[in-house]
Amino acid sequence: MVVSQEPEYEGTADITVRGVVIGLLTPAIATVVAYPIAPTRPEISIAVFMLAVVIAAVAGGLWSGLIAGILASTLRPLVVEDPQLTFRFDDVEDVATGVVFLSVAMVVGLLVGQASEDRARASRREREARFLGTLSSTLHTREVPDRVLDQFAEVLMEPFGLSRVEVEATLDGTDLRALATTNGEVVVGGPRTSVRLLAGDASIGTLVAERPPGGRPFSRDDQLLLETAARQATAALDRARLDARARNAQLDAETNQLRAAMFSSVTHDLRTPLASIKAGVTSLLDTTVQHDPAQERELLTTILEETDRLNRLVGNLLDLARIRAGALTPTRQQSAMDEIVEIVLARMRSRLAEHVVTADLPASLPDVWVDPVQLDQVLTNLLENAGRHAPAGSEIQVSVLWMHGAVQVRVADEGPGIPLDERDRVFEAFYRGSSIPETPGSGLGLAIAKAVVVAHGGRIWIEEAPAGGCVVAFEIQGGDPQA
Amino acid sequence: MNRVLVVDDEPQIRRALRTSLEAHGYEVQTVGTGEEAVIGAAEMSPELMLLDLGLPDLDGTEVIRRVRGFTELPIIVLSVRDGQHDKVAALDAGADDYVTKPFAMEELLARARAAIRRAQPGEPTPPSLLYGALEVDLGRRLVTLDGDPLRLTPTEYLLLEALATNPGKLLTHQWLLRKVWGQGYGTETTYLRTYVRALRKKLGDDAQAPQLIVTEPGVGYRWIAESSGAES
Repeated sequence: MVVSQEPEYEGTADITVRGVVIGLLTPAIATVVAYPIAPTRPEISIAVFMLAVVIAAVAGGLWSGLIAGILASTLRPLVVEDPQLTFRFDDVEDVATGVVFLSVAMVVGLLVGQASEDRARASRREREARFLGTLSSTLHTREVPDRVLDQFAEVLMEPFGLSRVEVEATLDGTDLRALATTNGEVVVGGPRTSVRLLAGDASIGTLVAERPPGGRPFSRDDQLLLETAARQATAALDRARLDARARNAQLDAETNQLRAAMFSSVTHDLRTPLASIKAGVTSLLDTTVQHDPAQERELLTTILEETDRLNRLVGNLLDLARIRAGALTPTRQQSAMDEIVEIVLARMRSRLAEHVVTADLPASLPDVWVDPVQLDQVLTNLLENAGRHAPAGSEIQVSVLWMHGAVQVRVADEGPGIPLDERDRVFEAFYRGSSIPETPGSGLGLAIAKAVVVAHGGRIWIEEAPAGGCVVAFEIQGGDPQA
Repeated sequence: MNRVLVVDDEPQIRRALRTSLEAHGYEVQTVGTGEEAVIGAAEMSPELMLLDLGLPDLDGTEVIRRVRGFTELPIIVLSVRDGQHDKVAALDAGADDYVTKPFAMEELLARARAAIRRAQPGEPTPPSLLYGALEVDLGRRLVTLDGDPLRLTPTEYLLLEALATNPGKLLTHQWLLRKVWGQGYGTETTYLRTYVRALRKKLGDDAQAPQLIVTEPGVGYRWIAESSGAES
């Protein structure tokens, strides 16, 4: 789309080369046409010259018409009354014809000029309207203020034939700046203009537009159009600012909602074991009933189990708090992943006694630079998770692989698996699988595992196990990140 | 009757420990600050100190350092789970062992018994230790498994000796490195890891269900096997 790269509009009063050529050419052609018929039908030859003048005025404008008129009034008497071409211009009739020719040229030329000026103005208005339309639709996207400014600078380039656009604006105390250039190169020295970005009466910034050296200077129309565009941009910036504010408010609301959900979840998880413990202890302290040894033992076992559960939960909450506070920096040291697996398996053996736990460790494995205590925790969480979801008697397999300079650890279970659409969400804190109600976990194990793996620059994900169930796998690059 | 000095600023913990320990026949003294702990260690001459690391006045490690200035009395540190660095610092300062809060009483009692027994004078380490099919002859520097002599490198043997002569005790990386490699060492945990792995393999100890050497992640190693007595 081009607004003003073309000549403004074809000349009314301007003398152009084209106009002169048309003015000279048309009477010449009329002479050639009129010459053979002049002796017999002089009135038709006059009409031919008249036609030539009209054509010249229509095609070439006022000056074309006048040139053609003068030439025609000179040539006509020669052709019509003096076939021998002896020059004679003394007749009253000749003078009258000349005056008529010139009058016709003048009238037609002015009318045509007016019409073409109107046409040019109309088409310019149309181009401007189209430009402003495009500008408006470009600016009316739900973008952040930065993006709006970039798009604004970009969209001005082609229509105005610019080589550089620079926009600066201050919004809510933040300075924004956008720069658009042709192919990223900046050529200085061309015509330039600047327009202020006005919000009401206050200036919030400036727009500087520059054409390549040798380019057309900025006309008044260009200037006006740029001002209109700048007003639109200011309005768009304001809209974007309000949108961003609204989005932030919505985000805050969602965060608050999440926080509320988290709070109620934590409250529930903390109170449940406390309730069991208190019930058990008060029951044992009650002097009005006599518990038999089996009942007593059962109550005490419950208290012990619930204490352990509470301890794990508090540990997880502390870890989460540490993650949130950004205090989860791994203390990396040269470690063997298979040894970490073995240590965790040795410690977890009694807790996973109901499952068949197998380990598939490679015969030799390069060392990795990780925090062994944190990785120990990741594996513990993954195994606890597997133990919780997989049925008693099923197999839990831990395998370690070395691939492309990274160590991969996989924990596969034969539990119910995790639906595809939940596989990302299970790593969110306090998320519990929808398909498995009443799981006793705190919904923190995987979130902590993910935080640790990510802190090590690795990734963690869920796969489907070949025999149903799920595989939680993580991968960490082997090299020393400091090296 | 063994005297135990319990150092913890929480009255509930002091009460729980006092009750449980007295039920097991210990004579219990409790204090709540580091200063009192140092004074108590000197004046009461207890056989064991249970020391909480989070005291209001003195840093737990500082208490250990001061106590070590005049006595070798066994010290078991009571620490919270996340105090990995505190734990190692306390052990390196001279603590004998640690138990993570919250702990099961039976675990604490087992550690306490082991620490007190190790501190008993007299009973020299027998020249030969027997763990099922494994025999470590300290006098002749000979290790046999099922009667077959094992080929250990000198470093492997020194490591085995350091571990087996401190049964039940948690040996930190730093302690083991200095003991086996020499005073200039202390941070080369990779050496230790490599040698422990090799040693486990030669001794036939399964890392996933260890019977001899247990790894305490980030802290050190512990020899858990009980010698079934010297061969005549």
